Amino acid sequence: MLVQLVMGFLAALTFGAIFRVPAGQRLRCGMVGGLGWTAFLALEGRLGEVGAVFFAATAVAVSSELLARRQHQPVIVFLTPGIIPLVPGSKAYLTMLSFVQKDYTQGVVLLVTTLFLAGAIAAGIIITSSVFRNLSRTKLSGR
Amino acid sequence: MEELVGLILTAGELLLTCGAEMARVEDTIERMGRAAGFVQVESYATPTGLFVSLHDAQGRVYTRVKRIRGGQSNIALIAEVNALSRAFAAGELTAEQVDRALQGLREQGVPDSPARPLIGGGGSLAFAVMMGGSWLEGLVAGVVGTLVLWVVSRMEGRFPKVIQAGVGSMVAAALVATVGSYLQLNVNVTILGAVMVLAPGLVITTAIRDLLGGELVSGLSRSAEALVIAVAIAAGVAVVLSLGGA
Repeated sequence: MLVQLVMGFLAALTFGAIFRVPAGQRLRCGMVGGLGWTAFLALEGRLGEVGAVFFAATAVAVSSELLARRQHQPVIVFLTPGIIPLVPGSKAYLTMLSFVQKDYTQGVVLLVTTLFLAGAIAAGIIITSSVFRNLSRTKLSGR
Repeated sequence: MEELVGLILTAGELLLTCGAEMARVEDTIERMGRAAGFVQVESYATPTGLFVSLHDAQGRVYTRVKRIRGGQSNIALIAEVNALSRAFAAGELTAEQVDRALQGLREQGVPDSPARPLIGGGGSLAFAVMMGGSWLEGLVAGVVGTLVLWVVSRMEGRFPKVIQAGVGSMVAAALVATVGSYLQLNVNVTILGAVMVLAPGLVITTAIRDLLGGELVSGLSRSAEALVIAVAIAAGVAVVLSLGGA
């Protein structure tokens, strides 16, 4: 569990570098990513994969919005690397592999799972960000 | 006024080439336009083009169109332009200072650390282990991920993103398959870790945020971009694996 937590942290931190996040913010990206991955692992047993990804993505989005306001940075600085550990990359990869190996039934099963997981992530981000948009007055007056 | 129009346009262009969301681009243009003394500011941003109309107090209208081409995901640059525009709107920086800063950013960008591929390799390692790989598999994924990032960074700006992703994933699959014939490896987990560095993460996040904000044109076009890149990554791996008879 601890190893996994550290790996979630490391993944978000290093993807911060890949996406060229400002160097001073990368540690915070790592923390957001570690939080999301830990939340996913803790909830997976009880809620199943899709539900766990939804709540983990929500946790990542909330902490990103809070950090962005506190650090005066755009939200994507924290959100993009932080969400990376949750992205269903392995499912997408296995989907492709099944199709290549002509195992179409397995491929479709994996494809649908991938789409549900991606949808859960999107829902987590969308709900959080629209709540924050309504709470923040600066955004409204800017429009 | 002419210089101010150019200044605002440059800020918008920089944001778009680095992959910012449309709402941020239009907010920035609005904020800077108001601060520069224009009474009405209209802008329409898409991932491939930017339209701006600025009305001044004397009733003159300045309209500009800017074609946006290529670019690389660069969150640091987005953050820099964001900070500059806010400082300008708050009156902390003059137009000349902002102009000089923006020109500097446009020419040099935010300097890339030479260690970027190496750090990115750490991401591959972490991903392989998170997906249930052993430390050995993580290590191989990390080294291959570093090489892939290095190859792709050589291609940046010269080839379309799709080609970069395809070539990068072919390199990753070929290297892992070669190592896998000497060592006991779960090839799938290792390749997965290595190609994760190519995943279009920023494109996907901005696509979601754009769609949410009602920016349908850019939301859909960015989703299409992410999908094409993902398919290119998959195809690159599939080609190499089928050559190897997997």
